[in-house]
Amino acid sequence: MDQLLPLAAVVPLLVAAGISAASRFLRRRRRILDAIGIATAVAVTVMLIVIMTRAAHGDSVYWFAGFRPSRGVAIGIDFAAGPLSAGLACLAAALVSAAMIFSWRYFEQVATYYHALMLTFLAGMVGYCLTGDIFDLFVWFELMGVSAYVLTAYRPEERGPLQGALNFAITNSVGAYLILSGIALSYGRTGALNMAQIGRDMARHGPDRLVVVAFVLIISGLLIKGAIVPFHFWLADAHAVAPTPVCVLFSGVMVELGLYGIARVYWSVFGYGLGHRQTVTSVFLALGMLTAIAGALFCFRERHLKRLLAFSTISHAGMFLTGIAVLTPLGLAGAAVYVAGHALLKAALFLGTGIVLHRLGSVNETWLHGRGRHLRVTGIIFTLAALGLADLPPFATYLGKGWIESAAATRGFPWVTAVFIISSVLVGAAVLRVAGGVFYGLGDPPSESPQVAAESSEETSETQAAKQRTPLSMIAPAAVLVVAGIVVALLPDLGPVLQASAVRFQDQAAYNATVLSGAHIPHPRALFPPEDTGVKAADLASGFGSAAGALLLAFLALYWKRLPVLRRGFEPGTGLVQPIRRFQSGIVNDYVAWIVFGLACVGGALAFTIR
Amino acid sequence: MTAAQRRWLFLAGAAGFAAFYLWGLTGLPGFGHYPGPYGDIINRIAVAQTNATGVVSAVNFEYRGFDTVAEEYILFVAAIGVSTVLRQLRGERERAARDEAVGRRVPPTSDAVRVLSLMLIGPTLVMGWFLASHAQTSPSGGFQGGVVLATSFILLYLAGEFLVFERVSPLDITDAVGAVGAGGFAAIGITAVGLGLAYLTNFLPLGSTPGAVSSSGTIALISFFVGLEVGAAFVLIVSELLEQTLLLRHRS
Repeated sequence: MDQLLPLAAVVPLLVAAGISAASRFLRRRRRILDAIGIATAVAVTVMLIVIMTRAAHGDSVYWFAGFRPSRGVAIGIDFAAGPLSAGLACLAAALVSAAMIFSWRYFEQVATYYHALMLTFLAGMVGYCLTGDIFDLFVWFELMGVSAYVLTAYRPEERGPLQGALNFAITNSVGAYLILSGIALSYGRTGALNMAQIGRDMARHGPDRLVVVAFVLIISGLLIKGAIVPFHFWLADAHAVAPTPVCVLFSGVMVELGLYGIARVYWSVFGYGLGHRQTVTSVFLALGMLTAIAGALFCFRERHLKRLLAFSTISHAGMFLTGIAVLTPLGLAGAAVYVAGHALLKAALFLGTGIVLHRLGSVNETWLHGRGRHLRVTGIIFTLAALGLADLPPFATYLGKGWIESAAATRGFPWVTAVFIISSVLVGAAVLRVAGGVFYGLGDPPSESPQVAAESSEETSETQAAKQRTPLSMIAPAAVLVVAGIVVALLPDLGPVLQASAVRFQDQAAYNATVLSGAHIPHPRALFPPEDTGVKAADLASGFGSAAGALLLAFLALYWKRLPVLRRGFEPGTGLVQPIRRFQSGIVNDYVAWIVFGLACVGGALAFTIR
Repeated sequence: MTAAQRRWLFLAGAAGFAAFYLWGLTGLPGFGHYPGPYGDIINRIAVAQTNATGVVSAVNFEYRGFDTVAEEYILFVAAIGVSTVLRQLRGERERAARDEAVGRRVPPTSDAVRVLSLMLIGPTLVMGWFLASHAQTSPSGGFQGGVVLATSFILLYLAGEFLVFERVSPLDITDAVGAVGAGGFAAIGITAVGLGLAYLTNFLPLGSTPGAVSSSGTIALISFFVGLEVGAAFVLIVSELLEQTLLLRHRS
C-alpha cells in the first residue's frame, strides 16, 4: 500500500480548501498565496515522480478505505498507477507548477480563488489519471471540467469574456452526460464499476451491441475533451478568452487527458469486449488524420496567437490519436513521448505569448509585426520552441512522430508519414512565421481585412499597461520548459522503458490480475510485437525534413508579397477565411449539432466491430 | 452556418444517434435480471461492517466515499465559480447599468408570506439538522440536509429584508464555512492515513447498536461536514444571485 497515491490527489484539494477558508486573512498577502500554490504543485510533482518510478515494474494498486476485492469483485474504489498514467499526471503537475510560477508577476491582482481553482484543477487531473474505477474517472473528469470552466472565465483577456467559457462548459458538459450514460449501460451489462472487473465480465460475455453503444458514448465524451474533429470547436474559443497560464494547462495536458482516457478505457475495459480490432483502428485513424490536417490548416490561417496555438494543439491531438489508433506498443510509446514533448514546447510557446501580451499588450500577429524586436530572450525561446513543434531533432517531438510513423507503417499504413509531415510543416510554419514576424521583423506584415484585424486586436490585458521589463519569474519557466523538451529525448533507455510501459498498459489480462487478485506480473504479454526504438535514419530524416519544410514555408509566407508571383493579391492561406468563419462560428448551437452528428458517425462506424 | 443548415445537421445526427442508441438498448438484460453481484454483496455486509442502517450513506461515505470527496469538491468549485463570475459581471454592470424595466414598481412582500416564512424557519432548521446528522440511521445525509438548511436562509430572506439575510450570512463567512466543510471531509481521510490505514478508512469506534445516532464512526462525521459544505454552497449561490438582482433594483 503506497500512501503517496491518495496524497497526490488529496493534498491539493486540502490546500485549496485551506486557502479558501483563510481567504479573508490571505487576501492582502498575495505572496503567501503564491508561495503556497507553487509549493503544493511542486510537492505533487515530486510525489508523482516517485509513484512513476515505483510503478515501473507493475502497477501500484491502492484500495480506498481498505476494501480489497473479494473473489474478484471490487467493493471499493481503487487507484491503479502505471508508469504511463503516473507519468501523465506528473506532466500535469509540472505544468501547473510552471504556470503558477509564471503567474507570480503576471497578474496585477489576483484573489484567493485563482490559486484554489488551479489546485482543484490539478487534483482533478491527477485523480483522473490514477483511478482504476470508471465512475471515479467520471467524477474526477467533472472536477477537472468545472475548475477549468471557472478558470476560463477568470479575468478574461478578451472582451465578451463569458462566451468562450460558456461554449466550453456546454460542450464539455454534453460530453460528461455522454460518458455517464455510457457508464450506466456498461453497468447494466456487468453490474460493476471497476474497470478491470467490467473488462473481465465483458470478455466472458463476448462482443454485443450494448457494449458497442456504451463504448461509443464513453469515448465520444472523451473525444470532446480531446478536441478531435468534429468535436473540437470549443477549444479555440476557450483558449482565446482564458488567461495565458491557464491556456498552458489546456493545451499542454487537458486535451491529452481526453485521449489518455480513450486509451485507458479501450485497453482496461473494452479491449476484449469489442471484437474487431481492425474497425477500431480504422475509425480512430480516420478521426486522427482528419483532425491532424484540419487543425493544421486552421492553424496556418490564424492571426490571433492564442487561437493559432490552440489550432496547432488540435492538429497534434489528431497525431496522438493516430498513435493510439495503431494499437501497437510502439504507437502508444510514440504517443506518450510526443505528448510529453509537445506539452513542454507548447507550454513554452504559451508562456512566450503571455510575455508578449505582458510587454506589448496584444496577441494579434498583424499588429505585433516587428514590434517584438527588443524581446530578444523571449524571441529565442519562442523560435526554439517553434522549431521543436515542427519536430526538429533532438526535441522529443521528433521521436514521438518517428515512432508513430514506423508503428503505422508496420501495420500497413505508410501514408500516415505523409500526412504527419504535411501537418507538422503547416503547424511549424505558422508558429515560425509568427516568430520571424514578431521578434525579428522579417518580411511584410500580413495583409488582413480591416474587419478581421479590428476584431482580433480587442485585447485587454490583465496587466493593464505594457511593461518595461520581463520579470525573471516569467522568462525562466519558459526557458526551462524548452530545455526540458530536449532533455526528455536524451533520457537513457527512454525507448525500451516506454515501450515496456506501453506493453504493460495494453495487456488487459495482466491489468485484471494485478488489480483484482493482487498478482505481480513481471512479464506482460504484447498483442502486437514490440519494435526497435533506436535512433533511426528515417526518424531523423522525417524530423529534419518537416523542420526544414516549415522554415521554408514560413519564409514564403513572410516574403510572399515580394516574390514575383503568379497571382498578385493572393496570400497563402487567405482562401481559407470563409470556411473557417463558417465552421468556427462561436455559436454553441452549431458546436452541439456537430457533436451529435459526429456521435452518429462514430457510432455507425464502430457498430461494425460486432460483425 | 445558417439556422436551417444547423437544424438539418442536428436532425440528421440526432436521427442516426437515436437509431444507434435504441439498437444498443435492445441489448440490455431484461427487466428484473440484475447482472451484478455488487448490490447483493453490499446488502449482505454493509450493516454488519459499518453499523450504519442507512446503507446508502454507507456506500456514499465509506465504500465509495472517495467519489464523494470529488463530488463535494465539484459543488465547492461550482459555488465559488458562480461567485467569481457574478462578482466580475457586477463590476461590468456598475459601469454600464441602466437596464431592465426602469419605471417598474417592486411590489412589497405581503404579510402572509412574511409570517409563514418566519414560522417555517425554525422547523426547516431542525429538519435540515436532523437530516444532516442522521445519515447513519436512515436514508438521509449531508447532501439533503445541507440543501434544507440552506432553504431556511432563503426563508429568512422572504420573511425579512435582504439586509438581515446578508448580515446573517455574510459572503466571507459563507465561503469559509463551505471551505471548512469540503476540507473537513478530505482531512478525515488524511487522518486515517496518519494512523497508518488506507485513505478514508473508518477509524472511529462504530458504536454498539446498528442504526443508533452514535453509531457508524466516520460516516456520521463525514455527513456532518458534507452538510456544512452543501448548505454553505447553496446559501452562497442564492445570495450571489439575489445580490445581483437587488443591486439593479436599488439603482432603479
